[in-house]
Amino acid sequence: MPSIAPPTDPTEGHTAKVFDVALAELRLHVVTMGGLAIDQVSTAVRALLDGDASLAQVVLSRESRINEFERSVDREAFRLIALHQPMASDLRMAKAVSRITVELERVGDEAKKIARFAGRLASGEPTGPVRAVARYLRHMADLTTGMLREAVRALDESDPDLARGVAGRDSELDAEFAAALRQLLTLAMQDQRFFSATIDTVFALKGLERVGDHAKNIAEQVLFVASGEDVRHQKQGDPAIK
Amino acid sequence: MEVTTESANTSNAPARARQESPLQNDASSRQSGTPRISITVDDTRKVRTLNVKAAVDNLNFYYGQHRALKNLTIPIADKQVTALIGPSGCGKSTFLRCFNRMHDLQPDTRYEGSITLHPDNLNLVGSGVDPIEVRMRIGMVFQKPNPFPKSIFENVAYGLRLRGVRNRATLGEEVEKALRGAALWDEVKDRLQDSALALSGGQMQRLCIARALATTPEILLFDEPTSALDPIATAKIEELISTLRDQVTVLIVTHNMQQAARVSDYTAFMYLGELIEFDEAAKIFTNPSKKATEDYITGRYG
Repeated sequence: MPSIAPPTDPTEGHTAKVFDVALAELRLHVVTMGGLAIDQVSTAVRALLDGDASLAQVVLSRESRINEFERSVDREAFRLIALHQPMASDLRMAKAVSRITVELERVGDEAKKIARFAGRLASGEPTGPVRAVARYLRHMADLTTGMLREAVRALDESDPDLARGVAGRDSELDAEFAAALRQLLTLAMQDQRFFSATIDTVFALKGLERVGDHAKNIAEQVLFVASGEDVRHQKQGDPAIK
Repeated sequence: MEVTTESANTSNAPARARQESPLQNDASSRQSGTPRISITVDDTRKVRTLNVKAAVDNLNFYYGQHRALKNLTIPIADKQVTALIGPSGCGKSTFLRCFNRMHDLQPDTRYEGSITLHPDNLNLVGSGVDPIEVRMRIGMVFQKPNPFPKSIFENVAYGLRLRGVRNRATLGEEVEKALRGAALWDEVKDRLQDSALALSGGQMQRLCIARALATTPEILLFDEPTSALDPIATAKIEELISTLRDQVTVLIVTHNMQQAARVSDYTAFMYLGELIEFDEAAKIFTNPSKKATEDYITGRYG
Protein backbone atom coordinates (compact mmCIF):
# COMPACT_ATOMS: atom_id res chain seq x y z
CA MET A 1 0.00 0.00 0.00
CA PRO A 2 1.17 3.56 -0.60
CA SER A 3 2.83 5.02 2.47
CA ILE A 4 1.56 8.56 1.91
CA ALA A 5 -1.74 9.39 3.61
CA PRO A 6 -4.40 9.66 0.92
CA PRO A 7 -5.65 13.19 0.32
CA THR A 8 -9.28 13.76 1.22
CA ASP A 9 -9.79 16.42 -1.44
CA PRO A 10 -10.44 14.84 -4.85
CA THR A 11 -8.77 17.75 -6.63
CA GLU A 12 -5.44 17.34 -4.81
CA GLY A 13 -2.56 14.92 -4.51
CA HIS A 14 -1.87 14.12 -8.16
CA THR A 15 1.70 13.46 -9.18
CA ALA A 16 1.11 15.96 -11.99
CA LYS A 17 0.49 19.20 -10.11
CA VAL A 18 -0.75 20.83 -13.28
CA PHE A 19 -3.71 18.45 -13.17
CA ASP A 20 -4.43 19.35 -9.51
CA VAL A 21 -4.54 22.99 -10.56
CA ALA A 22 -6.80 22.37 -13.57
CA LEU A 23 -9.27 20.28 -11.57
CA ALA A 24 -9.31 22.71 -8.63
CA GLU A 25 -9.88 25.67 -10.96
CA LEU A 26 -12.73 23.88 -12.67
CA ARG A 27 -14.44 23.22 -9.38
CA LEU A 28 -13.80 26.77 -8.19
CA HIS A 29 -15.49 28.12 -11.31
CA VAL A 30 -18.61 26.05 -10.71
CA VAL A 31 -18.73 27.09 -7.06
CA THR A 32 -18.44 30.75 -8.10
CA MET A 33 -21.18 30.22 -10.67
CA GLY A 34 -23.29 28.61 -7.94
CA GLY A 35 -22.87 31.70 -5.72
CA LEU A 36 -24.08 33.91 -8.55
CA ALA A 37 -27.07 31.65 -9.29
CA ILE A 38 -28.13 31.67 -5.62
CA ASP A 39 -27.96 35.45 -5.54
CA GLN A 40 -29.99 35.67 -8.76
CA VAL A 41 -32.82 33.67 -7.15
CA SER A 42 -32.93 35.63 -3.90
CA THR A 43 -32.63 38.98 -5.69
CA ALA A 44 -35.40 38.08 -8.16
CA VAL A 45 -37.78 37.07 -5.35
CA ARG A 46 -36.96 40.25 -3.42
CA ALA A 47 -37.68 42.30 -6.55
CA LEU A 48 -41.00 40.49 -6.85
CA LEU A 49 -42.06 40.98 -3.23
CA ASP A 50 -40.89 44.62 -3.04
CA GLY A 51 -42.11 45.51 -6.54
CA ASP A 52 -38.60 46.84 -7.18
CA ALA A 53 -37.97 47.30 -10.91
CA SER A 54 -34.30 48.24 -10.52
CA LEU A 55 -33.57 45.03 -8.56
CA ALA A 56 -35.31 43.06 -11.32
CA GLN A 57 -33.10 44.84 -13.81
CA VAL A 58 -29.99 43.78 -11.87
CA VAL A 59 -31.03 40.14 -12.20
CA LEU A 60 -31.69 40.47 -15.94
CA SER A 61 -28.36 42.21 -16.55
CA ARG A 62 -26.44 39.42 -14.77
CA GLU A 63 -28.11 36.64 -16.76
CA SER A 64 -25.47 36.81 -19.50
CA ARG A 65 -22.75 36.18 -16.90
CA ILE A 66 -24.45 32.92 -15.89
CA ASN A 67 -24.58 31.86 -19.53
CA GLU A 68 -20.92 32.72 -20.01
CA PHE A 69 -20.07 30.64 -16.91
CA GLU A 70 -21.93 27.69 -18.39
CA ARG A 71 -19.99 27.95 -21.63
CA SER A 72 -16.59 28.39 -20.01
CA VAL A 73 -17.00 25.61 -17.40
CA ASP A 74 -18.16 23.21 -20.08
CA ARG A 75 -15.22 24.19 -22.27
CA GLU A 76 -12.76 23.69 -19.40
CA ALA A 77 -14.24 20.31 -18.47
CA PHE A 78 -14.03 19.20 -22.09
CA ARG A 79 -10.43 20.40 -22.32
CA LEU A 80 -9.51 18.64 -19.08
CA ILE A 81 -10.92 15.36 -20.39
CA ALA A 82 -9.12 15.74 -23.73
CA LEU A 83 -5.75 16.77 -22.35
CA HIS A 84 -5.49 14.83 -19.10
CA GLN A 85 -7.68 11.77 -19.73
CA PRO A 86 -8.92 11.62 -16.15
CA MET A 87 -9.87 8.27 -14.63
CA ALA A 88 -12.20 7.10 -11.85
CA SER A 89 -13.10 9.89 -9.37
CA ASP A 90 -11.37 12.52 -11.52
CA LEU A 91 -13.44 11.49 -14.51
CA ARG A 92 -16.56 11.53 -12.38
CA MET A 93 -15.68 15.03 -11.19
CA ALA A 94 -15.21 16.30 -14.76
CA LYS A 95 -18.53 14.79 -15.84
CA ALA A 96 -20.39 15.99 -12.74
CA VAL A 97 -19.07 19.53 -13.03
CA SER A 98 -20.25 19.66 -16.62
CA ARG A 99 -23.69 18.52 -15.54
CA ILE A 100 -23.87 20.83 -12.52
CA THR A 101 -23.18 23.86 -14.67
CA VAL A 102 -26.25 22.99 -16.78
CA GLU A 103 -28.37 22.79 -13.61
CA LEU A 104 -27.07 26.16 -12.43
CA GLU A 105 -27.79 27.75 -15.80
CA ARG A 106 -31.40 26.58 -15.50
CA VAL A 107 -31.57 28.03 -12.00
CA GLY A 108 -30.47 31.30 -13.61
CA ASP A 109 -33.28 30.97 -16.17
CA GLU A 110 -35.89 30.55 -13.43
CA ALA A 111 -34.53 33.65 -11.66
CA LYS A 112 -34.70 35.56 -14.94
CA LYS A 113 -38.36 34.65 -15.44
CA ILE A 114 -39.24 35.73 -11.91
CA ALA A 115 -37.35 39.00 -12.45
CA ARG A 116 -39.30 39.69 -15.65
CA PHE A 117 -42.55 39.15 -13.79
CA ALA A 118 -41.31 41.53 -11.10
CA GLY A 119 -40.67 44.10 -13.82
CA ARG A 120 -44.23 43.73 -15.11
CA LEU A 121 -45.64 44.15 -11.60
CA ALA A 122 -43.64 47.35 -11.20
CA SER A 123 -45.14 48.68 -14.42
CA GLY A 124 -48.76 48.14 -13.44
CA GLU A 125 -49.75 44.45 -13.42
CA PRO A 126 -52.04 43.75 -10.39
CA THR A 127 -50.08 42.75 -7.28
CA GLY A 128 -52.97 40.99 -5.50
CA PRO A 129 -51.95 37.38 -6.20
CA VAL A 130 -48.31 37.96 -5.24
CA ARG A 131 -49.36 39.65 -2.00
CA ALA A 132 -51.73 36.75 -1.28
CA VAL A 133 -48.89 34.21 -1.40
CA ALA A 134 -46.04 36.49 -0.31
CA ARG A 135 -45.38 34.41 2.77
CA TYR A 136 -45.04 31.26 0.64
CA LEU A 137 -42.84 32.96 -1.93
CA ARG A 138 -40.51 34.20 0.78
CA HIS A 139 -40.37 30.81 2.49
CA MET A 140 -39.86 28.91 -0.76
CA ALA A 141 -37.09 31.30 -1.77
CA ASP A 142 -35.38 30.71 1.58
CA LEU A 143 -35.75 26.96 1.20
CA THR A 144 -34.47 26.78 -2.38
CA THR A 145 -31.53 29.10 -1.87
CA GLY A 146 -30.70 27.14 1.29
CA MET A 147 -30.76 23.87 -0.65
CA LEU A 148 -28.68 25.36 -3.44
CA ARG A 149 -26.16 26.77 -0.97
CA GLU A 150 -25.73 23.37 0.67
CA ALA A 151 -25.47 21.55 -2.64
CA VAL A 152 -22.77 23.94 -3.84
CA ARG A 153 -20.98 23.75 -0.49
CA ALA A 154 -21.11 19.95 -0.68
CA LEU A 155 -19.35 20.20 -4.03
CA ASP A 156 -16.84 22.74 -2.72
CA GLU A 157 -16.00 20.68 0.36
CA SER A 158 -16.52 17.24 -1.23
CA ASP A 159 -18.96 16.39 1.51
CA PRO A 160 -21.40 13.60 0.61
CA ASP A 161 -23.24 13.90 3.94
CA LEU A 162 -24.09 17.50 3.19
CA ALA A 163 -25.29 16.48 -0.28
CA ARG A 164 -27.52 13.77 1.17
CA GLY A 165 -29.25 16.38 3.34
CA VAL A 166 -30.31 18.44 0.31
CA ALA A 167 -32.53 15.76 -1.20
CA GLY A 168 -34.35 15.34 2.09
CA ARG A 169 -35.57 18.94 2.06
CA ASP A 170 -37.25 18.73 -1.32
CA SER A 171 -40.51 17.37 0.11
CA GLU A 172 -40.88 20.40 2.39
CA LEU A 173 -40.61 22.59 -0.70
CA ASP A 174 -43.22 20.55 -2.54
CA ALA A 175 -45.63 20.91 0.41
CA GLU A 176 -45.17 24.69 0.43
CA PHE A 177 -45.83 24.80 -3.31
CA ALA A 178 -49.08 22.82 -2.95
CA ALA A 179 -50.27 25.06 -0.10
CA ALA A 180 -49.50 28.21 -2.10
CA LEU A 181 -51.42 26.85 -5.08
CA ARG A 182 -54.51 26.23 -2.91
CA GLN A 183 -54.29 29.78 -1.63
CA LEU A 184 -54.09 31.17 -5.17
CA LEU A 185 -56.95 29.00 -6.36
CA THR A 186 -59.18 30.37 -3.61
CA LEU A 187 -58.25 33.91 -4.60
CA ALA A 188 -58.86 33.26 -8.30
CA MET A 189 -62.33 31.93 -7.62
CA GLN A 190 -63.21 34.97 -5.51
CA ASP A 191 -61.87 37.60 -7.87
CA GLN A 192 -61.36 36.99 -11.57
CA ARG A 193 -59.78 40.37 -12.37
CA PHE A 194 -56.37 38.96 -11.38
CA PHE A 195 -56.45 36.11 -13.82
CA SER A 196 -53.27 36.92 -15.78
CA ALA A 197 -51.31 37.91 -12.67
CA THR A 198 -52.44 34.70 -10.97
CA ILE A 199 -51.00 32.61 -13.78
CA ASP A 200 -47.74 34.55 -13.59
CA THR A 201 -47.62 33.97 -9.84
CA VAL A 202 -48.17 30.24 -10.33
CA PHE A 203 -45.22 30.27 -12.74
CA ALA A 204 -43.07 32.08 -10.17
CA LEU A 205 -43.96 29.51 -7.51
CA LYS A 206 -43.35 26.68 -9.96
CA GLY A 207 -40.00 28.28 -10.85
CA LEU A 208 -38.92 28.16 -7.22
CA GLU A 209 -40.06 24.57 -6.95
CA ARG A 210 -37.90 23.79 -10.01
CA VAL A 211 -34.91 25.50 -8.42
CA GLY A 212 -35.29 23.02 -5.55
CA ASP A 213 -35.20 20.18 -8.08
CA HIS A 214 -32.02 21.59 -9.62
CA ALA A 215 -30.44 21.80 -6.15
CA LYS A 216 -31.34 18.17 -5.63
CA ASN A 217 -29.82 17.21 -8.98
CA ILE A 218 -26.60 19.02 -8.08
CA ALA A 219 -26.46 17.15 -4.77
CA GLU A 220 -26.91 13.87 -6.64
CA GLN A 221 -23.93 14.71 -8.84
CA VAL A 222 -21.83 15.40 -5.72
CA LEU A 223 -22.81 11.95 -4.43
CA PHE A 224 -21.84 10.49 -7.80
CA VAL A 225 -18.38 12.06 -7.53
CA ALA A 226 -17.96 10.74 -4.00
CA SER A 227 -19.18 7.17 -4.45
CA GLY A 228 -19.57 6.50 -8.16
CA GLU A 229 -23.16 5.54 -7.52
CA ASP A 230 -25.94 6.97 -9.62
CA VAL A 231 -28.66 7.93 -7.12
CA ARG A 232 -30.92 9.70 -9.60
CA HIS A 233 -34.57 8.74 -9.58
CA GLN A 234 -34.29 6.80 -6.34
CA LYS A 235 -36.81 7.19 -3.59
CA GLN A 236 -35.93 8.55 -0.19
CA GLY A 237 -34.97 5.67 2.06
CA ASP A 238 -33.13 3.72 -0.63
CA PRO A 239 -29.82 2.48 0.70
CA ALA A 240 -27.80 4.81 -1.52
CA ILE A 241 -29.57 7.94 -0.30
CA LYS A 242 -29.93 7.06 3.35
CA MET B 1 -15.70 -8.34 -7.52
CA GLU B 2 -16.42 -11.50 -5.66
CA VAL B 3 -15.26 -14.69 -7.20
CA THR B 4 -16.95 -17.92 -6.25
CA THR B 5 -16.90 -21.28 -7.87
CA GLU B 6 -20.45 -22.35 -8.13
CA SER B 7 -21.83 -23.92 -11.25
CA ALA B 8 -23.11 -27.20 -12.52
CA ASN B 9 -19.53 -28.36 -12.72
CA THR B 10 -18.58 -27.68 -9.16
CA SER B 11 -21.79 -27.61 -7.17
CA ASN B 12 -21.13 -31.00 -5.67
CA ALA B 13 -17.66 -30.07 -4.51
CA PRO B 14 -17.29 -30.24 -0.73
CA ALA B 15 -18.05 -26.87 0.86
CA ARG B 16 -14.81 -26.99 2.86
CA ALA B 17 -12.70 -27.27 -0.26
CA ARG B 18 -14.49 -24.35 -1.80
CA GLN B 19 -13.72 -22.20 1.22
CA GLU B 20 -10.05 -23.02 1.12
CA SER B 21 -9.68 -22.14 -2.51
CA PRO B 22 -12.23 -20.27 -4.57
CA LEU B 23 -10.87 -21.71 -7.77
CA GLN B 24 -10.77 -25.33 -6.82
CA ASN B 25 -12.53 -27.72 -9.15
CA ASP B 26 -13.95 -31.07 -8.35
CA ALA B 27 -13.40 -34.26 -10.28
CA SER B 28 -16.39 -33.75 -12.57
CA SER B 29 -15.12 -30.42 -13.88
CA ARG B 30 -11.72 -31.95 -14.42
CA GLN B 31 -13.33 -34.38 -16.77
CA SER B 32 -15.64 -31.90 -18.48
CA GLY B 33 -12.90 -29.35 -19.25
CA THR B 34 -13.09 -25.60 -18.83
CA PRO B 35 -14.54 -24.72 -15.45
CA ARG B 36 -17.01 -21.89 -15.05
CA ILE B 37 -17.04 -19.58 -12.11
CA SER B 38 -19.52 -16.92 -11.10
CA ILE B 39 -18.47 -13.36 -10.47
CA THR B 40 -20.49 -10.66 -8.77
CA VAL B 41 -20.10 -7.24 -10.29
CA ASP B 42 -20.29 -4.64 -7.51
CA ASP B 43 -22.12 -1.73 -9.04
CA THR B 44 -24.92 -3.62 -10.72
CA ARG B 45 -25.11 -6.67 -8.41
CA LYS B 46 -25.12 -8.75 -11.57
CA VAL B 47 -23.76 -12.23 -11.43
CA ARG B 48 -21.84 -13.20 -14.51
CA THR B 49 -20.39 -16.55 -15.37
CA LEU B 50 -16.83 -16.64 -16.52
CA ASN B 51 -15.13 -19.46 -18.39
CA VAL B 52 -11.72 -19.93 -16.88
CA LYS B 53 -8.80 -20.72 -19.19
CA ALA B 54 -6.19 -20.59 -16.45
CA ALA B 55 -6.72 -20.50 -12.72
CA VAL B 56 -3.91 -18.87 -10.75
CA ASP B 57 -4.12 -20.17 -7.22
CA ASN B 58 -1.99 -18.96 -4.31
CA LEU B 59 0.95 -18.32 -6.59
CA ASN B 60 4.22 -17.27 -4.95
CA PHE B 61 7.42 -16.64 -6.81
CA TYR B 62 10.91 -16.21 -5.39
CA TYR B 63 14.08 -14.72 -6.84
CA GLY B 64 16.47 -16.35 -4.37
CA GLN B 65 15.23 -15.21 -0.96
CA HIS B 66 13.17 -12.39 -2.37
CA ARG B 67 9.47 -13.14 -2.61
CA ALA B 68 8.40 -11.27 -5.74
CA LEU B 69 4.81 -12.55 -5.98
CA LYS B 70 2.65 -13.02 -2.94
CA ASN B 71 -0.31 -15.40 -2.87
CA LEU B 72 -1.82 -14.39 -6.19
CA THR B 73 -5.22 -15.86 -6.93
CA ILE B 74 -6.70 -14.67 -10.21
CA PRO B 75 -9.01 -16.32 -12.74
CA ILE B 76 -7.89 -15.77 -16.34
CA ALA B 77 -11.02 -15.70 -18.48
CA ASP B 78 -11.12 -17.82 -21.62
CA LYS B 79 -10.93 -15.86 -24.90
CA GLN B 80 -10.97 -12.53 -23.11
CA VAL B 81 -8.29 -9.91 -22.60
CA THR B 82 -6.97 -9.56 -19.07
CA ALA B 83 -4.69 -6.61 -18.37
CA LEU B 84 -2.16 -6.40 -15.55
CA ILE B 85 -1.46 -2.89 -14.31
CA GLY B 86 0.60 -1.48 -11.46
CA PRO B 87 3.68 0.65 -10.79
CA SER B 88 7.16 -0.46 -11.88
CA GLY B 89 8.44 -3.30 -9.76
CA CYS B 90 5.00 -4.46 -8.64
CA GLY B 91 5.57 -7.89 -10.16
CA LYS B 92 3.29 -7.77 -13.18
CA SER B 93 6.00 -8.80 -15.66
CA THR B 94 7.25 -11.42 -13.19
CA PHE B 95 3.71 -12.75 -13.02
CA LEU B 96 3.34 -12.78 -16.81
CA ARG B 97 6.61 -14.66 -17.20
CA CYS B 98 5.41 -17.42 -14.87
CA PHE B 99 2.88 -18.43 -17.52
CA ASN B 100 5.51 -19.57 -20.01
CA ARG B 101 8.18 -20.44 -17.48
CA MET B 102 10.57 -17.71 -18.60
CA HIS B 103 12.03 -17.65 -15.09
CA ASP B 104 13.43 -21.15 -15.60
CA LEU B 105 16.17 -19.51 -17.67
CA GLN B 106 17.48 -17.85 -14.49
CA PRO B 107 19.14 -19.76 -11.65
CA ASP B 108 17.84 -19.73 -8.10
CA THR B 109 14.18 -19.02 -8.80
CA ARG B 110 11.25 -20.88 -7.32
CA TYR B 111 7.49 -21.18 -7.87
CA GLU B 112 4.92 -22.06 -5.21
CA GLY B 113 1.22 -22.58 -5.76
CA SER B 114 -0.28 -23.32 -9.14
CA ILE B 115 -1.42 -21.97 -12.49
CA THR B 116 -3.88 -24.55 -13.76
CA LEU B 117 -4.36 -24.53 -17.50
CA HIS B 118 -7.72 -25.84 -18.63
CA PRO B 119 -9.19 -27.99 -20.08
CA ASP B 120 -6.55 -30.58 -19.17
CA ASN B 121 -5.62 -29.18 -15.74
CA LEU B 122 -1.94 -28.83 -16.49
CA ASN B 123 -0.12 -26.98 -13.69
CA LEU B 124 2.08 -24.62 -15.70
CA VAL B 125 4.48 -24.06 -12.82
CA GLY B 126 4.48 -27.64 -11.61
CA SER B 127 7.99 -29.02 -11.04
CA GLY B 128 7.39 -32.06 -13.23
CA VAL B 129 6.11 -30.03 -16.17
CA ASP B 130 8.45 -29.45 -19.10
CA PRO B 131 8.87 -25.71 -19.80
CA ILE B 132 9.25 -26.46 -23.51
CA GLU B 133 5.82 -28.07 -23.55
CA VAL B 134 4.43 -25.03 -21.73
CA ARG B 135 5.97 -22.65 -24.25
CA MET B 136 4.47 -24.62 -27.13
CA ARG B 137 1.03 -23.82 -25.74
CA ILE B 138 1.62 -20.30 -24.50
CA GLY B 139 3.03 -17.64 -26.82
CA MET B 140 4.69 -14.40 -25.89
CA VAL B 141 5.21 -11.00 -27.49
CA PHE B 142 7.82 -8.71 -25.99
CA GLN B 143 8.25 -4.99 -25.49
CA LYS B 144 10.78 -4.64 -28.30
CA PRO B 145 9.98 -6.42 -31.55
CA ASN B 146 12.54 -9.22 -31.86
CA PRO B 147 12.23 -10.85 -35.28
CA PHE B 148 14.90 -13.38 -36.28
CA PRO B 149 17.41 -12.11 -38.87
CA LYS B 150 15.66 -14.19 -41.50
CA SER B 151 12.96 -13.62 -44.12
CA ILE B 152 9.43 -12.65 -43.18
CA PHE B 153 8.22 -16.09 -44.23
CA GLU B 154 10.88 -17.95 -42.22
CA ASN B 155 10.10 -15.93 -39.09
CA VAL B 156 6.51 -17.13 -39.11
CA ALA B 157 7.34 -20.65 -40.31
CA TYR B 158 9.96 -21.12 -37.60
CA GLY B 159 7.68 -22.50 -34.90
CA LEU B 160 5.92 -24.74 -37.40
CA ARG B 161 9.21 -26.21 -38.60
CA LEU B 162 10.19 -26.83 -34.96
CA ARG B 163 7.01 -28.84 -34.67
CA GLY B 164 8.04 -30.90 -37.63
CA VAL B 165 5.85 -29.41 -40.37
CA ARG B 166 7.73 -30.10 -43.61
CA ASN B 167 5.04 -29.88 -46.28
CA ARG B 168 5.62 -26.67 -48.29
CA ALA B 169 1.95 -26.17 -49.08
CA THR B 170 0.93 -26.58 -45.44
CA LEU B 171 3.68 -24.20 -44.33
CA GLY B 172 2.54 -21.63 -46.90
CA GLU B 173 -1.07 -21.90 -45.79
CA GLU B 174 -0.28 -21.64 -42.10
CA VAL B 175 2.08 -18.69 -42.62
CA GLU B 176 -0.61 -16.83 -44.57
CA LYS B 177 -3.20 -17.60 -41.91
CA ALA B 178 -0.93 -16.32 -39.15
CA LEU B 179 0.00 -13.18 -41.09
CA ARG B 180 -3.67 -12.49 -41.81
CA GLY B 181 -4.44 -13.09 -38.13
CA ALA B 182 -1.84 -10.50 -37.22
CA ALA B 183 -3.27 -8.01 -39.78
CA LEU B 184 0.02 -7.97 -41.67
CA TRP B 185 -0.69 -10.11 -44.74
CA ASP B 186 -1.75 -7.31 -47.09
CA GLU B 187 1.38 -5.32 -46.32
CA VAL B 188 3.90 -8.14 -46.83
CA LYS B 189 2.31 -10.68 -49.19
CA ASP B 190 4.46 -9.52 -52.12
CA ARG B 191 7.73 -9.61 -50.23
CA LEU B 192 7.64 -12.67 -48.01
CA GLN B 193 11.26 -13.48 -48.84
CA ASP B 194 12.55 -10.00 -47.80
CA SER B 195 14.39 -9.71 -44.52
CA ALA B 196 12.13 -9.19 -41.52
CA LEU B 197 14.58 -6.56 -40.31
CA ALA B 198 13.54 -4.28 -43.18
CA LEU B 199 10.02 -3.87 -41.73
CA SER B 200 8.92 -0.86 -39.67
CA GLY B 201 8.72 -1.19 -35.88
CA GLY B 202 4.96 -1.64 -35.91
CA GLN B 203 5.16 -4.20 -38.71
CA MET B 204 7.92 -6.09 -36.86
CA GLN B 205 5.74 -6.25 -33.77
CA ARG B 206 2.83 -7.61 -35.82
CA LEU B 207 5.26 -10.10 -37.38
CA CYS B 208 6.18 -11.25 -33.86
CA ILE B 209 2.47 -11.64 -33.13
CA ALA B 210 2.08 -13.67 -36.35
CA ARG B 211 5.05 -15.80 -35.32
CA ALA B 212 3.38 -16.46 -31.98
CA LEU B 213 0.00 -17.16 -33.62
CA ALA B 214 1.43 -19.65 -36.13
CA THR B 215 1.75 -22.33 -33.49
CA THR B 216 -1.89 -21.75 -32.39
CA PRO B 217 -1.16 -20.95 -28.74
CA GLU B 218 -3.91 -21.18 -26.14
CA ILE B 219 -2.74 -18.10 -24.27
CA LEU B 220 -0.86 -15.17 -25.75
CA LEU B 221 1.22 -13.07 -23.37
CA PHE B 222 1.99 -9.46 -24.19
CA ASP B 223 4.67 -7.64 -22.22
CA GLU B 224 4.17 -3.93 -22.95
CA PRO B 225 3.80 -4.65 -26.67
CA THR B 226 3.40 -1.05 -27.80
CA SER B 227 5.77 0.92 -25.58
CA ALA B 228 8.26 1.26 -28.45
CA LEU B 229 5.66 2.15 -31.10
CA ASP B 230 4.10 5.37 -32.41
CA PRO B 231 0.37 6.06 -31.86
CA ILE B 232 -0.77 4.70 -35.24
CA ALA B 233 1.20 1.46 -34.90
CA THR B 234 -0.07 1.26 -31.30
CA ALA B 235 -3.67 1.62 -32.48
CA LYS B 236 -3.14 -1.18 -35.00
CA ILE B 237 -1.75 -3.50 -32.33
CA GLU B 238 -4.61 -2.62 -29.98
CA GLU B 239 -7.15 -3.28 -32.71
CA LEU B 240 -5.41 -6.57 -33.37
CA ILE B 241 -5.56 -7.55 -29.70
CA SER B 242 -9.33 -6.91 -29.67
CA THR B 243 -9.80 -9.21 -32.67
CA LEU B 244 -7.46 -11.87 -31.27
CA ARG B 245 -9.81 -12.51 -28.38
CA ASP B 246 -11.98 -14.53 -30.73
CA GLN B 247 -9.30 -17.19 -31.01
CA VAL B 248 -6.98 -16.91 -28.03
CA THR B 249 -6.87 -15.90 -24.38
CA VAL B 250 -4.81 -12.73 -23.99
CA LEU B 251 -2.85 -11.56 -20.97
CA ILE B 252 -1.26 -8.14 -21.32
CA VAL B 253 1.08 -6.08 -19.15
CA THR B 254 0.91 -2.39 -19.90
CA HIS B 255 2.07 0.84 -18.32
CA ASN B 256 -0.40 2.77 -20.39
CA MET B 257 -3.57 2.99 -18.33
CA GLN B 258 -5.68 4.17 -21.24
CA GLN B 259 -4.46 1.18 -23.20
CA ALA B 260 -5.52 -1.21 -20.45
CA ALA B 261 -8.91 0.54 -20.37
CA ARG B 262 -9.27 0.31 -24.15
CA VAL B 263 -8.24 -3.28 -24.77
CA SER B 264 -9.03 -5.30 -21.68
CA ASP B 265 -12.17 -7.04 -20.50
CA TYR B 266 -10.75 -7.70 -17.05
CA THR B 267 -8.06 -5.78 -15.22
CA ALA B 268 -5.88 -6.76 -12.29
CA PHE B 269 -4.11 -4.09 -10.27
CA MET B 270 -0.94 -5.27 -8.53
CA TYR B 271 1.23 -3.56 -5.96
CA LEU B 272 4.41 -4.84 -4.26
CA GLY B 273 3.82 -8.36 -5.54
CA GLU B 274 0.26 -8.56 -4.32
CA LEU B 275 -3.04 -8.48 -6.14
CA ILE B 276 -4.91 -5.43 -4.88
CA GLU B 277 -7.99 -5.55 -7.06
CA PHE B 278 -9.35 -7.63 -9.90
CA ASP B 279 -12.55 -6.70 -11.70
CA GLU B 280 -14.12 -5.89 -15.02
CA ALA B 281 -12.11 -3.17 -16.75
CA ALA B 282 -15.11 -0.84 -16.93
CA LYS B 283 -15.48 -1.03 -13.16
CA ILE B 284 -11.77 -0.58 -12.42
CA PHE B 285 -11.49 2.53 -14.56
CA THR B 286 -14.70 4.28 -13.57
CA ASN B 287 -15.18 3.31 -9.96
CA PRO B 288 -12.58 1.00 -8.42
CA SER B 289 -13.40 -0.55 -5.06
CA LYS B 290 -10.00 -0.06 -3.46
CA LYS B 291 -8.44 3.27 -2.55
CA ALA B 292 -4.99 2.14 -3.72
CA THR B 293 -6.33 1.31 -7.19
CA GLU B 294 -8.07 4.69 -7.36
CA ASP B 295 -4.86 6.49 -6.34
CA TYR B 296 -2.82 4.64 -8.93
CA ILE B 297 -5.12 5.05 -11.93
CA THR B 298 -5.80 8.72 -11.18
CA GLY B 299 -2.07 9.40 -10.91
CA ARG B 300 -1.77 10.07 -7.19
CA TYR B 301 1.30 7.98 -6.50
CA GLY B 302 4.33 10.13 -5.76
